[in-house]
Amino acid sequence: MSTANLSRRGFLKTSGIVGGGLVVGFSLNGCSAGPVPLKSVASAWAPNAFVQITPDNVMRFYCPRDEMGQGVTTGLATLVAEDLDVSPERLLIELAGPHPDYNNPAFGAQGTGGSTSVKAHYTQLRQVGADVRQVLLQAAAQDLGVPIDSLDTDDGHIVHGDDRLPYGRFVATAAGLEIGGGAALKPPSAFKHIGREFPRLDALAKSTGTAQFGIDVDVPGMEHAVVVRCPVAGGTVKRFESEAARAMPGVTAVVQISSGVAVVAQKYWQAKQAAGKLEVEWTSPQLADVSSADMRAEYALALEDAGDTAHSEGDLEAGFTSAQTVIEQDYWAPYLSHSPMEPMNAVVHVREGEADVWSGTQGIGIAQGLVARYAGLDVENVRAHATYLGGGFGRRATLTHIIEATEVSVATGKPIHLLWSREDDIRHGVFRPASLVRIRTGVDDEGRLTAWQARRVGGNITPYTLKAALPGVLPSLGDGTVDWLVGVAHGAFDGWVVDSSGVEGLHEDLDVANVAVEHVTRENGLPLTFWRSVGHSYTAFAKETALDELAVQAGIDPIELRLRNTGGKPRLQGVIREAGARMQQMQPAPGRSLGFAAHSSFDTDVAEVAEVSVEGGRIRVHKVLCVVDCGIAVNPDVVRAQMEGAIMFGLTAALHGEHTLENGAVVQSNFHDYPILRMNEAPEVEVVIIESAEEPTGVGEPGLPPIAPAVANAVYAATGQRLRSLPLRLA
Amino acid sequence: MIRFELNGHIVETDDAPDTPLLWVVRDTFKLKGSKYGCGAGLCGACTMHLDGQAVRTCVLPVSAVAGKTITTIEGLGTPEAPHPLQAVWAEQGVPQCGYCQSGQIMSAAALLESNPAPSDEQVEQAMAGNICRCGCYPRIKQAILTAAAELAVEVTA
Repeated sequence: MSTANLSRRGFLKTSGIVGGGLVVGFSLNGCSAGPVPLKSVASAWAPNAFVQITPDNVMRFYCPRDEMGQGVTTGLATLVAEDLDVSPERLLIELAGPHPDYNNPAFGAQGTGGSTSVKAHYTQLRQVGADVRQVLLQAAAQDLGVPIDSLDTDDGHIVHGDDRLPYGRFVATAAGLEIGGGAALKPPSAFKHIGREFPRLDALAKSTGTAQFGIDVDVPGMEHAVVVRCPVAGGTVKRFESEAARAMPGVTAVVQISSGVAVVAQKYWQAKQAAGKLEVEWTSPQLADVSSADMRAEYALALEDAGDTAHSEGDLEAGFTSAQTVIEQDYWAPYLSHSPMEPMNAVVHVREGEADVWSGTQGIGIAQGLVARYAGLDVENVRAHATYLGGGFGRRATLTHIIEATEVSVATGKPIHLLWSREDDIRHGVFRPASLVRIRTGVDDEGRLTAWQARRVGGNITPYTLKAALPGVLPSLGDGTVDWLVGVAHGAFDGWVVDSSGVEGLHEDLDVANVAVEHVTRENGLPLTFWRSVGHSYTAFAKETALDELAVQAGIDPIELRLRNTGGKPRLQGVIREAGARMQQMQPAPGRSLGFAAHSSFDTDVAEVAEVSVEGGRIRVHKVLCVVDCGIAVNPDVVRAQMEGAIMFGLTAALHGEHTLENGAVVQSNFHDYPILRMNEAPEVEVVIIESAEEPTGVGEPGLPPIAPAVANAVYAATGQRLRSLPLRLA
Repeated sequence: MIRFELNGHIVETDDAPDTPLLWVVRDTFKLKGSKYGCGAGLCGACTMHLDGQAVRTCVLPVSAVAGKTITTIEGLGTPEAPHPLQAVWAEQGVPQCGYCQSGQIMSAAALLESNPAPSDEQVEQAMAGNICRCGCYPRIKQAILTAAAELAVEVTA
């Protein structure tokens, strides 16, 4: 009964429906996907891919989503624990390897992002817990020779009269039983753990230096690789001179790979020093003609194009005619990098017919597929080992560092630890697209919006995210087919359909009869991707600043203006009302002003109030009030932490974040010229969670979009200066 | 050979003298708790104690620590016997991704050694060299103040 010997009849045979009508469809019968990659634990019972219980009652939970700080291991463990009836603190958490049973029900693939995890797994993992508990009860009834309804459970134990018997005592019998599935879930009134405050489960490991990140992986015989890449994305090696690098101490190889030239040495520092001795000549890509100063002017010109229609309702011009006050303004947001504290890295070991990869990713299946593809192996012969992520924010869905490590391991036959420097990470990454948004809107004398027109100019992320994911998701797809599909996507989004991630959040919150959302694509070859809250990171800034401008111009209270025009979103109205009432009670110190913004993203509604002062031309944010409605808060402490973190992440973008291009190269290189908010700039944050009985929605991203406009609106209140460009800079 | 004390043990390395201490500790002595973040002394993820002072080891050549005493996060405490700061960090759910926390805690520990009862502003100043991209700052600050208060009670008790 080892884990390698998973009997078919021991598996759950359920398939259900979760909120939104998504089919869970976890057959969990191994089928063509091969065995689930569980730890080999003697005599452990693994009724499904998620739970493994030993006879001495050690209970493991295989967390299907990636832990990048958002608290997903704690959140998902709580779901399975609730209906298994065990404290989540008792569960040993393992980061799951690749297998279809671990697919994200929201994606049908094994990816983590889009604030989906708790929402998408809410019913699924509770059902897993309930079904396992049910079988344990059956096994206990059989072993004890008592009727099942004389038994109960409590914190990992079967309760029979005064006896408390650990679940582990019954796993041998349970392993022989059929799992029926469909066991009843607890009613919310019986919840012991969902909604309970407790510190996240990985906190002690992360406070003692014992949590393992990708960079910490160290395997016998491992060597270290540093790659020199073209300063301009898309450039390739024309020729290189490596004699000086090869002569450096510890260097064992210099190899050309698809992204540049890799120097391999016994230790990282040796590889890093030797890489500095390489001389490489590059081909000049299309992006080499691009500089940021020209780009913004081009975007402004492109705003005059009609663009492609993303959404249209009613009669826009009639709406403007009936308006009493009309405004039209443009809002700019620059390129941003994610700059997680752990730069990109991977360990890959390719051997004859098999390989291992260790990395912290937002899709361990993609890591596995990429190694298979670039090592010429079948996917089932690649073992992929997930680690903690030293920050994700969307960055770790693009895994070119895994391709690099694979190519170097293939070339050298050695286990390769490949690490990007901070400079590599900032300059050679994938970016939040720059964006220029024009809002034209009108309001009547009753404070009702009569027309709302939003037009965005910028790049589309979807072709780039496809290009990043496809080769790993479908390793057998030829390079030509991948390029063709990516080309089709680029073409489709330029004049045919609109990439929804570019315009998301521009109008959905507003209940207005006459609407047009339009898009003009501008691309230059700089690779783009998801960045915490994606399109909302700039659309909320445009929408919420424009609403504030309109309110001021029309002489309407800005909170009242929002309440009158968000009738289709009662939950959003709830957070606006709550934050508005609390804003009335706030008494900012002399010299400080308040600004308000609210936005709905990823099905979660957030309103924020920023208390700001302007001293010597410098914007200082002292306090932020955040009101969030995310349905049931599975762990209120984690929800608060995500709101706090998203506000800080958003403040870095609001006050500092900007990447510029000069002849196609990213100008910034490290934290001195791409500054991240520091503790002495961090505001006090108060988070209010709206009580709710609705199923949970995501919290990783929605705290971010309102903060930049809340600060900008406060700066207007303080100074009369309306700031329409990020980062916010006073004239 | 460069010889120094690492978490209570005398160690020797033949790494090149200009190798930053961080990489000697991580690659040669295999202690992975201290992290690489910027390589330029800008983010504090690599913070260790050199004779009790918080230092950025990504820019500190190992030659500079010959004969000196180095403490890393592993030497500060363990999951079984955490330092009071580590215990408070866990109780208050401070970390998110957790990558910067070793450096944060080492900076905080050095602060409390030199100033057992810091004010809010003193905490902010002492910790301004440590970046947390997840934005755990309010909790880091609170945890330091809580630990300082707890340690003060222990001292007077």
